[in-house]
Amino acid sequence: MTYEVNRRLAARRPPLATDAVVDPVTAGIIRGAFETICFETATHLGRAASSAIINQSNERNASIIDGHGRLAGLSVGIPQLLFISPLAVRWGLEHFDADDWGPGDVFVGNDPDHGGGHLPDYNVYAPHFGDDGRIVAIQALQAHQGDTGGKDPGGFSVDATEIYQEGMLIPRLKLVHRGRPRQDAIDMLVRNNRFPSFAGDIAAMISASQRGAARIGELVARWGADVVRAAINWNIRETERRFRAEVERWPDGVYEADVWIDHDTVGNEDVHVHVACRVEGDRLSVDLTGSDARPELICVWNTFSNSRGYAMAQLVSMVDPTIVKNEGLFDAVELILPEGTIVQPPPNKPAALGAFHPACEIGEAICIALSDILPERSSPQVYKLGMPNAVIGFDARGQMWMDQGVDVRSSDASATQGIDGWGSMCSGLGNLVLAQAEDAESRFPVINLSRDMTTDTGGAGRWRGQPGTRNVKKVLEPTTAVAWMVSKKHPLRGLRGGDDAGPYSNFFEFGTEREYEIENSVQAQLPAGAVIAYQYGGGAGFESPLDRKQEAVLEDVLDEYVSVAAARDRYGVVLTGSVEAFDLAIDEDETRALRERMRTQPPASVPRRKRVERIEVRLVSEGSAKS
Amino acid sequence: MSFRIGIDIGGTFTDFAVQSEDPLPDGSRLLVDKTLSTPDDNSEAVMTGLARIAERLGLALPALLDHTDAIIHGTTIADNTLIQMNGAVTGLLTTAGFRDELELRRGFKEDIWDVRLEPPQPIAPRRRRLGVPERILADGSVFEPLDEAVARLAIARLARQGVESVAISLLFSFVNPDHERNLAKWVREVMPDVEISVSHEVLPRAPEFERTSTTVVNAYIAPRVTVYLDRLDERLAAAGYRNELLVMQSSGGVMTREYLRGSPIRVLASGPAGGVVGGAHIADAKQAPNLLCVDMGGTSYDVSVVVDGRALAEPGWNWHHRYLVAVPMVKVETLGAGGGSIAHVDAGVLKVGPHSAGAVPGPVCYGRGGEQPTVTDAILVLGLLSDDSEFAGGRFSLTRRGVEQAFEKYVAGPLGCSVEQAAYDCFRVVNANMTQAVSRTTAGKGIDPRSLTLLAYGGNGPAFAAIQADDLGIRRVLVPRASPTFSALGALAASPCIDEERSYLVSARSADVGRLRALWTELDERAERYFAGAGFARNDLTARHQLNLRYPGQNWSLSVDVARIRGPRDPGFIDAALPERAIALFHELHEAEYGHHRAGEEPEITGVRLSTSAEISRPEVAGGLESPRRVVTPIKHRRAHLGRGFEPVGIHRGAELVPGDVVAAPAIIEESFTTVVVYPGWEAIVDDAGDYQLERRD
Repeated sequence: MTYEVNRRLAARRPPLATDAVVDPVTAGIIRGAFETICFETATHLGRAASSAIINQSNERNASIIDGHGRLAGLSVGIPQLLFISPLAVRWGLEHFDADDWGPGDVFVGNDPDHGGGHLPDYNVYAPHFGDDGRIVAIQALQAHQGDTGGKDPGGFSVDATEIYQEGMLIPRLKLVHRGRPRQDAIDMLVRNNRFPSFAGDIAAMISASQRGAARIGELVARWGADVVRAAINWNIRETERRFRAEVERWPDGVYEADVWIDHDTVGNEDVHVHVACRVEGDRLSVDLTGSDARPELICVWNTFSNSRGYAMAQLVSMVDPTIVKNEGLFDAVELILPEGTIVQPPPNKPAALGAFHPACEIGEAICIALSDILPERSSPQVYKLGMPNAVIGFDARGQMWMDQGVDVRSSDASATQGIDGWGSMCSGLGNLVLAQAEDAESRFPVINLSRDMTTDTGGAGRWRGQPGTRNVKKVLEPTTAVAWMVSKKHPLRGLRGGDDAGPYSNFFEFGTEREYEIENSVQAQLPAGAVIAYQYGGGAGFESPLDRKQEAVLEDVLDEYVSVAAARDRYGVVLTGSVEAFDLAIDEDETRALRERMRTQPPASVPRRKRVERIEVRLVSEGSAKS
Repeated sequence: MSFRIGIDIGGTFTDFAVQSEDPLPDGSRLLVDKTLSTPDDNSEAVMTGLARIAERLGLALPALLDHTDAIIHGTTIADNTLIQMNGAVTGLLTTAGFRDELELRRGFKEDIWDVRLEPPQPIAPRRRRLGVPERILADGSVFEPLDEAVARLAIARLARQGVESVAISLLFSFVNPDHERNLAKWVREVMPDVEISVSHEVLPRAPEFERTSTTVVNAYIAPRVTVYLDRLDERLAAAGYRNELLVMQSSGGVMTREYLRGSPIRVLASGPAGGVVGGAHIADAKQAPNLLCVDMGGTSYDVSVVVDGRALAEPGWNWHHRYLVAVPMVKVETLGAGGGSIAHVDAGVLKVGPHSAGAVPGPVCYGRGGEQPTVTDAILVLGLLSDDSEFAGGRFSLTRRGVEQAFEKYVAGPLGCSVEQAAYDCFRVVNANMTQAVSRTTAGKGIDPRSLTLLAYGGNGPAFAAIQADDLGIRRVLVPRASPTFSALGALAASPCIDEERSYLVSARSADVGRLRALWTELDERAERYFAGAGFARNDLTARHQLNLRYPGQNWSLSVDVARIRGPRDPGFIDAALPERAIALFHELHEAEYGHHRAGEEPEITGVRLSTSAEISRPEVAGGLESPRRVVTPIKHRRAHLGRGFEPVGIHRGAELVPGDVVAAPAIIEESFTTVVVYPGWEAIVDDAGDYQLERRD
């Protein structure tokens, strides 16, 4: 049933019926107006929502979908998630008559088996009807909710075996009928959610979608429904044309890659994603056949809609960024997501964590596969962390507090041809806003001891990955800490001969006799004063480190991205002097000789199972200097 | 006889606006002028321009300056330093473990789709960002003492790298600045000549990234701004000016040279702020408290909003030239759309901008070697401009030579259309871009544009304004006669102002009222001292006390007004009931800003803010429409395309229009530095001040 629904929802949809002819300039103006409407709608939601994840972390995404359920326009947000709404809306549209769709209606859906992403990602959508009684376009919003009413607060259960444990499923539900809120339905949603702020969030999503629909109405009043429909058709066709034109320039062939996740949440190892990208003329197919389908895997099942979104987010990052993002992308690519595998699971599989992994590994695999033919735009648009270290406690009044640990960090910022990895994360996550020590410490009994980048954790390469940070935190009261670790055994892969990124690792009760490393997942009790030390993986390197300009390596060592030892061992660059004395210099002769030698006898690649060195961190002993 | 002189330095022109106490020979009290900028040393153009003004007033320069009460100066020196990235060699000393805060940018990247986006050029590369063992906690207590030995090693490391400017930013230094002070002292011992910027002085508030980034940018621009302003100071003094030089700040207020010595960062983005302040100033007289200000020049289109007659200045998430600068800044959205924006076809799609032909080579029609078609060329083809009129105040005439060929080659050919259609398409695209920029600005503030009056200035603003107005449902457009020198006029209208904050993070009901009082008093004494230096007495000052609050979990605070005190300090309002009052005000403001509030939730105070300002005499603005109406006939007609195909359009000479004159559509009014287009459906009226008011007529 699920597979059949997925097939139907994902099938290519025809253009809208319209008699109007639109010129490219008008089509472009209407496209720009769509993007502005989406920006306005997302901004409204960001301002009106009450929970931090939406109003600060910017996990809110707006898109416009046409009467056939095709993506017609979108705004800033998180690329992966911006591509998710159409299928949820299509499931709604299939019930147009039964659900009595009409002007002023607003719907919600989150069911992974009916077009949704994972349960926390609510899709709220509001249609605008033309004078002819037909839908012109639908304003859709996608935003992450803090809770879903499942067995664990937040909706992420590391031991869930079926989706019912994760929370309430909503295939589709009408929240507003002809402009009038259906309070019974809204109350039911609110009652099934632990977060008091949810009521405000869902109200904000409803009002934002209505605002978007009204703005679409103004656009239709200005141009006429038929012209707007013709513009949607033109823009989707144009995107498909441009994407295909890019593919046509790629050499024909089959490009394959394999990526592994260390383990699922209970320790089943080496969860496997395989991709084969076939290029033939202007046709591209992305086939994930061969990806894992082991029934015993827990929590690492990505939903169908999410798999499409993550695959497309990676693909669009590898083409001209000025190509307009709409349904034309999906029209231009054949996505093959084999049924029953971790990229299109059987019905009722848990979905919360799978929406991270293997979702990200789909993107990573596509990036690796195409990196040989698209070196200038190969940069994995992923996050390889399982989850950050969240610490939870109760204050004197018995109120729960939670430091989610989404702190400033560097992770997975990889190099691409000509550009070293930089900043905090990949480009696609550039709208997130990470948390600050001075905010957290004013609210929670924690001290952020350190979060410097760790030298040598960026993959070496002709262009190198950004090192990962080591985030060290001390809890001042007894707390519960939750973690899920991956990407230690299988860190982010280097591209075209670049080194892999440094692996992830995580230690609890660090610096004491009870110190232990989190190998998989944990919900631990920490005593007051305990220290947790989380090493984020770095970005991956690009092409051989032996081809990096020796002057650039010297600069890297001066900046302590790279150590003197790694300059020699990975880059073949021999330096004299020291960082501290600021008198580093390249030993030209030694370097030439060493690089020559390393070229003919390549050093062992960075050991895949590299043991994480015991972390040396400056630790302040409790109370030693308290005034 | 006394004068106040506003000066705004732009990329091409340096603008002057002189306010005279006594009527000038032409009966007005305002004189405006322009001179070409001198980018190598901007103070040169200032002196040249002042000499010319003195001549026009029939005075010697020393006599003019002797009678000048205030010179108010908007400068782009800080912006140019960041655009050209040629500031000081800058080092950063920070809490050990937080060395990379600056580079990680809280995760922010400017483009989520483009993996080829280059990193910003580092102001302080990692080798010059050094951690120093020390730690102060949120309550100001010392968790780990400052390690002098390691600190001195770090300072030595910076010295070896030849740093010219040092930023110091430690965690929670705004609560307890001892460690920052000690570090500054040791830096001074080792490097007596470097500039030192300490975060608890530059931006004494949380959180660490915002404070650190602002401090580092301050350190980077400080030497150049200081040298420039010192030189200007000296030149003015040598020429006979005896008062304090006032400098425009990004907040829209002005302050003395002395005040800005400590935080030159506050002059960043002060140019556009001047225009917005000018808008706020005329808002009242024109009965238009809520304005959408659009400034379209040669390369950019700046959009901002005036609400209730005030230019909104917000501290916080202000990204500027790829760096975060968290001082209060008048919010201006800039789009790469101006007269010089280049039209080109990219993969079958017509695009206009963001690249500009600038002043050199300029649009094709300037006849200075430009080869690519621009917006100015498009409106020449469409007849909005003409090659038989004077341009840029009569400095040169436009030429049609090469314009059609340029459109044919770059636009019409690739798109397969006529040259006139290509020009019209450029016109439509640039208009759509501008409309969307405006929509983003109003959406970001939650404002319905239909409630606004559009104020258009800059050389190109008035030619397009009514199009955006139509697109957004705005029914009234103002075009000041002084439109091309509007930012200089704004400098004259700006109040001297010090707007500062102090952090104090606490649940609102648990706030220590004594501490609130102490923080406000500290800010107040600071402000009073600088104002005294500028010649203002306590009684001239108004102190606006604000509390910054937010709901727990929010990143951004709102400032609520809790007391506005004129004259002597009076902390009487700071009582035990203050937190409760502030909470109620915050709920109310949150409702107004975001459309909802959380009645049951206790907000947290994040700090106190004090905005101290002084009243000054501003240029008079009139705005009435009392003059008897008279529909004027055009001096001639020209074939032009104003959106409904080519048709004869009436041409008016702006210099000949007087208050009460009504210009019917379609019409084009040619002013010496700008062109006002009266589109179909609109009507232009010259108001009692001689400014244009365009109104929608249906």
